[in-house]
Amino acid sequence: MAEREGVRQFKGRPILPGDVVGEALVTHLGFNAYASFYDCLSGNVDTAVCADAGNDELYGRRLDSKIICLPQTIGSTSAGAVWQRVADLGLAPKAMLFSKPIDSLAAGGLIVADVWTNVRIVTVDQLGEDFLIAVESGGRVHVGEDGTVVVRRSGEGEHEIK
Amino acid sequence: MVNPDQLDIQLSPEELKVLSGAHGEVLQKVMETVVLFGEALGAERLVEIEGSGHFVIPWCYPGIAPPIDMLEELVNAGLKTKFPFTLDPYPPLDFENLNLETEVEEAIEAMYADQDRYDELISHLGLRDDQAYTCNPYQPEVGNIPERGTILAWSESACAIYANAVLGARTNRNGAIMDLLLNILGKTPLAGLLTDEGRKANWLVDIRTQRLPDPQLLGAVIGLKLLSGVPFITGLDRFLNPDLDEDTRDYLQEMGAMIATYSAVDLFHVEHITPEAADIGRDLLRPEYESCIINETDLENVLDSFPVQWDDPEAKPEKCYIGCPHLSLDLIYTWAERIERELNVQGQEHLAVDTVLCAAPQVLEKFQHDQDTYQRMLEVGVRFSPTCSETIFETGLCAGKPVVTSSNKLRAYTSARYYGDRKLVEILVKGNVDG
Repeated sequence: MAEREGVRQFKGRPILPGDVVGEALVTHLGFNAYASFYDCLSGNVDTAVCADAGNDELYGRRLDSKIICLPQTIGSTSAGAVWQRVADLGLAPKAMLFSKPIDSLAAGGLIVADVWTNVRIVTVDQLGEDFLIAVESGGRVHVGEDGTVVVRRSGEGEHEIK
Repeated sequence: MVNPDQLDIQLSPEELKVLSGAHGEVLQKVMETVVLFGEALGAERLVEIEGSGHFVIPWCYPGIAPPIDMLEELVNAGLKTKFPFTLDPYPPLDFENLNLETEVEEAIEAMYADQDRYDELISHLGLRDDQAYTCNPYQPEVGNIPERGTILAWSESACAIYANAVLGARTNRNGAIMDLLLNILGKTPLAGLLTDEGRKANWLVDIRTQRLPDPQLLGAVIGLKLLSGVPFITGLDRFLNPDLDEDTRDYLQEMGAMIATYSAVDLFHVEHITPEAADIGRDLLRPEYESCIINETDLENVLDSFPVQWDDPEAKPEKCYIGCPHLSLDLIYTWAERIERELNVQGQEHLAVDTVLCAAPQVLEKFQHDQDTYQRMLEVGVRFSPTCSETIFETGLCAGKPVVTSSNKLRAYTSARYYGDRKLVEILVKGNVDG
């Protein structure tokens, strides 16, 4: 883990590798994918707004195109199909970054979406507890193919770590 | 396309042939999905599935089920599951039992316009029979009861945790679609809760309440405290019968469903009660286990945290759903007795709130054989349905409506308000939540 002012780097395990940059959306609670994407499954919306009233950190915030930083997913196993649906609708997050080892529910759903929809939601796990302490909603995150994750606090510049 | 040389998981020659496409492109894609899943879980290898599946995919509604074109792809390739499977409850198309507003019925009909085609495809893929729809498949009337130690690949978090904890079968927490693909392949990754090591407890959860806690609240507290892992629960044996009788099984089903709703936990052990805890005892605890204590304050705090999501918080309740997960036959009788008693206490002849009890088709059929009780319940205003009450809310038209429930799971996914059983039956008879 490298560190410099407002910028920290973590190394995780790439489950579905990819190189993406985006805005972090952070939850320290379990992420209930089914409850969170509940309102967009019909396909009659342009954005995916978190509908999980049980998650104060995410409720009412946009999930699509964000880089969601979380410990694990929780809740209904219907969530397995949710990932394929939001991928198909173009409402998926850019990436899912897990501090813990990925749970079987999330792994299955994200892999199904990848293989059967051909939409990659970049997925990295085992980033560690410090990752969830360091990353802030609104901050910039860069995910590398090898599972390297660079996080900048919100408001920090766009300079790259070399 | 997966490169086998880059995998950590060990595949047999036959599995490698499937992965190479020797048995067709569709089965190759199924194998690729399962292999990547195994790799993500850190599985050493794949193992044979040994028993019938139970899946969370009865509804054709996009986002909670496989898309129809995917099912067609599987059926057209001649694929089906290794064993016949049961599914979660059928969509809420039994309007005669539900007394819904016309606009809700129309919305449901639109949502499930493709259900007949979906049913046809799912039947080809291995559905056990056209009544095999419930989220309580291990009821004796339904009969999907795996034996202890059986390797499975189940979904439906409430069912998977029950199969693991109470029946002692072995399944990971699989999601929709992956459940079907694993059972088509007939193999599942050897990882997590399929292994002896993965079934060891990393939490000692000590219940120190004065009375048997409401399982709907206790499960929520355990799920929130742990988030993941395997709890070894002590203190419940003061209240529950160690013989795993019907009351104990019903209690553990409710508690387990709530643990799974609030966490990624999919196995628990209860000291002196659940099979592995009864046999192995505290040796199930890992050396580095953590501990927590749960008392009445924890239960009160979680109850107080439930937001009121009705449009009018002062409204009189109009609808009540009981049976998420589906009720056992014993629990239907318990509710019948509760309702009868409360009507007598309050001198009423009819419930003030439109009330639906949900259970498996086979359980309802058996209950209906008791015509005296069944007709009496109909007379006082109880309805019975084999559907999933939560799916009614997916129309979006019931959000904010004054609905009450005894299910914290239903509450968690909808705007329904939760009440414990004693309070709820009062509400059903009096017709207001402050009564």
